Amino acid sequence: MSHTTTRSGSAIAAHPVASATIAILVVADIFFALYTPLYSRLTPKLGDFPFFYWYLLIFMPVTSLVLWIVMQLQKRIAATAAEGDGVQ
Amino acid sequence: MSNVNTTTFTIVVVLFVIVTGLGFIAARWRRAANMQHLDEWGLGGRGFGTFITWFLLGGDLYTAYTFIAVPALVFGSGSIGFYAVAYTIVVFPIVLIFLPRLWSVSRVHGYVTPADFIRGRYGSRGLALASAFTGILALMPYIALQLVGIQAVLAVMGVGASSSNTFVKDLPLFIAFLVLAIFTYVSGLRAPALIAFVKDTLIYVFVLVAVFYIPTRLGGWSNIFGTAQTHFATISPVTKKPLGTFLPTAANIGSTRLDFASLALGSAVALFLYPHAITGTLAAKRRSAVKRNMIYLPLYSVLLALIALFGYMAVADPVTAANVKKTGNAQLAVPYLFQHMFPSWFTGIAFAGIIIGALVPAAIMSIAAANLFTRNVFVEFFKQDASPALQTRMSQWVSLVVKLGALLFAVELPHTFSINLQLLGGIWILQLGPMLIGGLFTRWFHRWALLTGWAAGMIYGTIAAYNVKNPTTSHWAGSSDIVFGHTIYIGLTAVIINLVVAVVLTFILKATRVPEGADETLPHQYTADPETTVPTPAGVGATVEG
Repeated sequence: MSHTTTRSGSAIAAHPVASATIAILVVADIFFALYTPLYSRLTPKLGDFPFFYWYLLIFMPVTSLVLWIVMQLQKRIAATAAEGDGVQ
Repeated sequence: MSNVNTTTFTIVVVLFVIVTGLGFIAARWRRAANMQHLDEWGLGGRGFGTFITWFLLGGDLYTAYTFIAVPALVFGSGSIGFYAVAYTIVVFPIVLIFLPRLWSVSRVHGYVTPADFIRGRYGSRGLALASAFTGILALMPYIALQLVGIQAVLAVMGVGASSSNTFVKDLPLFIAFLVLAIFTYVSGLRAPALIAFVKDTLIYVFVLVAVFYIPTRLGGWSNIFGTAQTHFATISPVTKKPLGTFLPTAANIGSTRLDFASLALGSAVALFLYPHAITGTLAAKRRSAVKRNMIYLPLYSVLLALIALFGYMAVADPVTAANVKKTGNAQLAVPYLFQHMFPSWFTGIAFAGIIIGALVPAAIMSIAAANLFTRNVFVEFFKQDASPALQTRMSQWVSLVVKLGALLFAVELPHTFSINLQLLGGIWILQLGPMLIGGLFTRWFHRWALLTGWAAGMIYGTIAAYNVKNPTTSHWAGSSDIVFGHTIYIGLTAVIINLVVAVVLTFILKATRVPEGADETLPHQYTADPETTVPTPAGVGATVEG
């Protein structure tokens, strides 16, 4: 990450798939944590943990993983932007 | 001090002394050539890598009050307390969107506070002052609540609680605070950064031990969840409603699903609008250190989820539940639980973890408030030519004043008052969203529209929070109210009002061509990572490349 370039609009346009994936991943991560009707229930249990409680616990490493993927995609977009428009 | 357990007390004192030593040694840690600069005292030299930033932000965001208040809420009301768990999940994807941009633009321009950025972005001293004022206002009760957390532990330890004299009763608190004040004054942000290592280690140890050990004493997790489920379904003779909820429900009984989700979302957006969170972020050396931490910080959220479950353990343990009922203070649930479950030496470690856990965020909060006052009130309005050395001295003294104010809060005012102010603080700080987060992406908003929106959100939020009642309290009974028939977090309603006002007024002010003010930032600076270039000298309005 040593470059000081812009992540310009053109960089996003040049990577429509990666950019869209980032947006979807971030929105999905927020949605599935906040939309309680999905997980506000007792079953299926994991061990003695009701669904509501283990769902939230599992969600945290999942968030880490999702954000790791997002950052890898961002890196790829930034790298080609640096080569592409050559702004210092 | 009749019923003090000597072993517990000794361990707490020894760990406290070790941490105090660290606080002073920190002044020499990663020392710079010129320490008389606000970047050094107030931001630890802006040189922390991913690893230190992780400890610093973890120690900063997961406060002692959290460790006391979240299980207290779970103990008292059940599943609604787990909004804090959902909140610490969604905070990271949300923050990843805007925080690296704030780090970059602040690094390029040498901004020390979020209000510095507002000032530079909108060319508006008034808007910067409004944001600095909001920040300081929200931080004061937050610092006070760290002390309330310490008091809860001290009370259960039996230290000083027997005296009726305020001064004698709170003497241990005064000592803890004096030590905190002095090492913050001397070492600045380096002190909490170094102490955070001890704090986080202690907390990880006692939480993991508690999570595996306590259920074996309480008949396993099935009994803990089972008892909680039965308990919260019991109809209260006072309110004629269930005592709480075991799952967020669709029925409107005080903690609905929308309430849960809006509290989580509002708190998540608010977290990194708090000046102390931004201080911890700006101390990072690289943009990538900030981003990487969004991957590693959720590990603390796991911890918070486990801590929330302590609330159910306290429900399932008859002795703890009886002790809490006797004092009528749910905040004592976790300290009582540990005291009853653990051998006294381990209770000492856990209690020390909570006490030290209060010192780290309290130090960072007072530094953040001091920086806001120095940069955005003192320098801006009273002494524009203040040298970096003078700014540093000013911040050092203000940090003492801020902490003294918080101490008065904690000792003199009823705790419910501090807690209400803290609830209000969350609502208030959220009102910085449009100008700060909005400003990181667009210069479309007009500065005066943002100022009016901010005022509207502040006024609505305060009045709405004041009007919340429940069967036992006539005002300030919570942070949710009913809008169009739905229970929803007030902060979220207020920020929507704020945003609507800002948008409408921006259209009007643009149409009438009211001056928009200068913008000293450039688009590429929001993604810059100038670690390889010469750092820009601190100071709002410093010359900028490009």
